[in-house]
Formats: sequence, C-alpha cells, structure tokens
Amino acid sequence: MVTAFIMVKANTGEADRLRDSIESIDGVQSAHIVAGDVDIIAKASVETPAAVKEIAATQIQGIDGIEDTQTYIAMD
Amino acid sequence: MTKTFARFSTLFDWLAWYIGASLLPGGSVPQCMRFVIIGAGRVGLRTARVLREEGHEVSVIERDEAMIRRARNQEFTVVEGDGSREDVLEEAGIADADALGALTGDLNVNFTACMIANHYGCRTIMRIDEAYREGIYRKYADEVDEVIYPERLGAIGAKNALLGGTIRAIADIAPHLQVVELTITNGAPVNGYTISELQLPANATVLAFGKRDQDLGLPDEDLSLEDGDRLVVLADYGVLSEVRQLLVGESEAQAAANTGSDATSGTGGVN
Repeated sequence: MVTAFIMVKANTGEADRLRDSIESIDGVQSAHIVAGDVDIIAKASVETPAAVKEIAATQIQGIDGIEDTQTYIAMD
Repeated sequence: MTKTFARFSTLFDWLAWYIGASLLPGGSVPQCMRFVIIGAGRVGLRTARVLREEGHEVSVIERDEAMIRRARNQEFTVVEGDGSREDVLEEAGIADADALGALTGDLNVNFTACMIANHYGCRTIMRIDEAYREGIYRKYADEVDEVIYPERLGAIGAKNALLGGTIRAIADIAPHLQVVELTITNGAPVNGYTISELQLPANATVLAFGKRDQDLGLPDEDLSLEDGDRLVVLADYGVLSEVRQLLVGESEAQAAANTGSDATSGTGGVN
C-alpha cells in the first residue's frame, strides 16, 4: 500500500465544492480545508505509486478551480 | 475612529485607517487600547501609526532587521522575532492586548498568530494574500474576527478616486451590503427635497448627512438636499445604482457601470 498526502492550491473560494469533489475520488480517504499557503490537504491510500499519480495529476488537477498540487509520499 | 467618517490625503492612509478601524471593537471605543501588530511592512507600520496617532498603545513584531530598524527609527516598540511563536507574542504583550493585527504576507504566520491571540482573548485581524481566500477564511477561520485583503481595499479607494468625488465606497458590511458616501449634484432628481421627503429603495437607508463643507451628523428630517451636500447610505448592491441615480443624478448607464459587475463578485467586494 502507498499512503500519500496531497497539498492542493485552489483559485476559487468554493472550498466546500473542491473538498467534496476530492473526497469522492476513489482512493482518497479524507480531505480537509486548511489555513496557510495551501487550501486543502488530502490523504490517499492506494495500491501503487502510479495510482497516486493518477489521483493527484489527473483527477484532482482535473477539477475546475484547482490551481496546483504537491504530493508527498509517506515512507513509514 | 468609526469605520464611516474620515478624510484621507492618500490612498494608503485610507487603507491603514481602514485596517486600524477593523482592529477596534464595534460600538464605543475605550480611550486607550493595546494592540499587537505583526509585520512592519507598509501595511503593518501604517496601521500601527494610525492607531498610535489615535492615542492607542501599539507594539510591533518583525523579523527582518532592516524593517526593525525602520520601525524603531519611527519610535515604535518592536519585538524581534517570528510572530507565530507564543513566546514572541508574549514578549510583545499579547496577554494584555485588546487586539492583534496579523498583517504579514505569510498566511501560515498570520493564522497561527491569530489562533494564539484568540486563546488570549484578543480580537484578531488576519491579512490574506489572494482574493479568493476571503470567503474561505470568513467561513472557516473561527479564530479570526476579520479578514483583510489590502489589495481589494486599495482598489476600492482607487476606484473612488477615478470616479471623481460624487460617490465614495466606505465599507463592505456584508457580502451584499455596502456603505457609500454620495454627494448631491444639481442634476440629482432629489435636489431640493428635504430628508423626510427622500424615498430610497427598500434595501437602502440613510445613516448620516452633512451640508456642504460641514461635518457629517445624524440625518435631520427637515434639512434640505442641495448641491454639494453629502449623504452616507447603507445599501444592498441590488439597489445601489438606483440610489446613485436618485442622489447623484447619474444616467442609468453610468450608474450601472459604476456598480455593475461588483454585484456579482462572490467575495462581496467592490473590486
């Protein structure tokens, strides 16, 4: 299993919609609206590193209102 | 210092005054309050100056040496360090402060500082860095009493200056409510009416009135509206252009252009 944390920078004030869209993606366990220089942090748990890339680069970045993502893979 | 009546020589003075006013509680303001400001940049230092000029006690937190020197040269009390650290905030007097202005360009610092200050019972004002975040922080940041986006406030002032005097946006009260000051012109439909004869749309109300060259005061029903008199009106965006037509005498197209897209702005701002 691969666990990953995905930092999401938005470009819209519709944080609720973005969080709900991200949470509904298969493999995403949770997503939270946070204070600071990113707007949402999502936690994903999937079978392979390729699946992490699919979630972050394709699915999350494909949501309207997402500016950028940054992914951190857990090592423990 | 209330949020409604004051005059400014520059846009930046107005901005600093507006942020300073945000730090003060609603209602009557005690003679001398204590404030902690984080960030001695242009926004932070000007805000500190406005508060000091009004007789309040201000201490400033800054981590950049050159900025610290500049603030100390202006005789501000400056604590050197990271404003998101509790010990630094304590040194600046957060325990006895009435309000905190977290006015750095760093959102993490600003938010953390507001959380700590909130714990100490302070009113908290947080500066944000991008327009779309206004709504998010207003909704989710329970620790933050007021969110400030200086660029938008600056734009309100610049717009007023460009419009040239008959209309001045003063403050956004809620996403659809704005306080504006309007100057009656000879061409205004209500020119010559008394205040009691003035009928504004349902979602608008007169807050204050001032004859030409006199101070604003509570509206007196018997006073007449004449060229150069000023009215401060609280109005919903939906009726703002109608109010402008009545009081300033703008054509419908002009009035719409002056309110126009503002009404649809999701952040509730005059952009």
